[in-house]
Amino acid sequence: MKILVCIKQVPDMESKFKVDAAGTWYDTSDLAWRMNEYDEYAVEQAVRLKEQLGQGDITVLSIGSDKVKETMKKALAMGCDRGLHVSDDQAAGKEPLQIASVIAAFAQDKGFDVIFTGMQSQDRGSGQVGVLTAEILGMPSVTTIVDFSCDGGVVSAKRELEGGVKARVKVNTPALFTCQLGLNKPRYPTLPNIMKAKKKELLSVPVAELLRADARQQTTKLYFPEKKGGGIVLEGDVGELADRLVQILQEKTTVLSR
Amino acid sequence: MRFELSEEQRLIRETVRDFAETEIAPSAAQRDEEERFDRGLMFDSLAELGLTGIVFPEQYGGAGADYISYAIAVEELSRVCASTGVTLSAHLSLGANPIYLFGTEEQKQEFLIPLATGEKMGAFGLTEPSAGSDAGSTRTTGVRDGNGWILNGTKIFITNGGEAETYVVFARTDKDATKHHGISAFIVSKGTDGFSFGKKEKKLGIRSSPTMEIVFENCRIPGTNLLGEEGEGFKVAMKTLDGGRIGIAAQALGIAQGALEQAVAYAKERKQFDKPLAAFQGISFQLADMATQIEASRLLVYNAAYRASAGLPYSQASAMAKLMASETAMKVTTQAVQILGGYGYTREFPVERMMRDAKITEIYEGTSEIQRLVIGASLTR
Repeated sequence: MKILVCIKQVPDMESKFKVDAAGTWYDTSDLAWRMNEYDEYAVEQAVRLKEQLGQGDITVLSIGSDKVKETMKKALAMGCDRGLHVSDDQAAGKEPLQIASVIAAFAQDKGFDVIFTGMQSQDRGSGQVGVLTAEILGMPSVTTIVDFSCDGGVVSAKRELEGGVKARVKVNTPALFTCQLGLNKPRYPTLPNIMKAKKKELLSVPVAELLRADARQQTTKLYFPEKKGGGIVLEGDVGELADRLVQILQEKTTVLSR
Repeated sequence: MRFELSEEQRLIRETVRDFAETEIAPSAAQRDEEERFDRGLMFDSLAELGLTGIVFPEQYGGAGADYISYAIAVEELSRVCASTGVTLSAHLSLGANPIYLFGTEEQKQEFLIPLATGEKMGAFGLTEPSAGSDAGSTRTTGVRDGNGWILNGTKIFITNGGEAETYVVFARTDKDATKHHGISAFIVSKGTDGFSFGKKEKKLGIRSSPTMEIVFENCRIPGTNLLGEEGEGFKVAMKTLDGGRIGIAAQALGIAQGALEQAVAYAKERKQFDKPLAAFQGISFQLADMATQIEASRLLVYNAAYRASAGLPYSQASAMAKLMASETAMKVTTQAVQILGGYGYTREFPVERMMRDAKITEIYEGTSEIQRLVIGASLTR
């Protein structure tokens, strides 16, 4: 089975973010970088699938500057077999369709049976790259999966929908899956595997060779949400406070049904 | 000269940090409180990650990484739990490394591989009630008995004692030889007749790491368990401790780093006189000094580790690293408690534990005084 996993390098979410000089993205200096959380579930699921089948070949793909190769090494240390780095210093400015076009251009003649992506990135968070890639490739996509099993050429996946509802989906391969929190617990790469990862194939190609879509969107401004005023402070005796709190929770939130 | 970590070293730091924060940190305070060693967490899970044999070649069950990677691993574990840091350091530097350095091929096959893979845990028995810094005064005896040896004596303050399966111990095998020359090193397995455990120490710090007395009473071991040449045990001990100091220096570095981060977070959060503590120059200057001393220690530790991996002499470098890092850990953790004030003195916050843990790094694997002796001797030789 041929498997493709698409990952993105994102800043550590504990970082202190600043808007960059152009005002259209965050300032990337002085940030610690790591693998997008949802992509870790994707990598883990790919490795588990290969382990379950006892055979297979996993390619990990990432788009960005040379720096993203470090995150790709982690995917290789977790068990991916080879890496394809699409070299692009301007990746952060590309819209989801452009990123999807790059992935699809690489994948189209490779015969991947299963493609895993994260359900969204932790920084831009569009949640579109996976589904757009599948659309371009003409294969079905199953989004926000929290369970995955594969038998023969049929995958059974559980999707997480809104409002706590789940859906069970069966799909024939080839297919693309976007991975959600709860799918699995990603393994820690072991030290011996970290050392072995440096011997695995990690090729780089310039983005120009794979980019098939022009930009149609433009980010005009990136800004922090305005600081909201302080919370509501209720004062009075306890019985009255409880009544007013219940009233507020009913009117302003959904935690209490009427 | 390059001061940057390699990609692998950075990935090792990220991995061990994630692991330490997610798996080790949550129980650190409680294990300290209960003086409880959790082998599954503090050793077996390190083995699964491949940390227990990190510096040994793959053929001996190791990961084939360098000493800087090892120092990073101990540093990151100690940043959240110094007891876990020393468990790894004592196992690898003191238990396994002398077998790697001085063992025969047969000894490596029999003893090193299970240690490196983490199937077994290692420990080191040098200190005795009357032979601490003065290791030449070893009184434990090793007497030839046919093709084996009979050991008699008591070793104290043994890290991983009782838990470990494989012990490298030192005994006087020649009563007539001058002090340092009549000592030999031996490998002793837990469960050998005549080998037992004495009292478990109740300690100020690293309370989740077991420290025990080990006792030999007519303990007969095979001749093939002699490690290195007969009478060369002192050399085995000193070479082992040179490497061990890198581990303890890294442990001290991790403790200091952990305390600094706690102090910085608190100073930014805590408000007095209507501003955060960090806005007071008296506090920010303290934080600046703490960070600077930690960074200086880190460079010394990584330099000693680099020299060890490059095959360069590193006895002086590791003594300097251990001296600087341990004294920095003591200073920084004490300051961190001061910055957190009354809260820092309570067990609600981790800095008091870090301060208690830091003290031992100035004592074991060569006190600060012994480190100065080693450095001084290397200057005036």
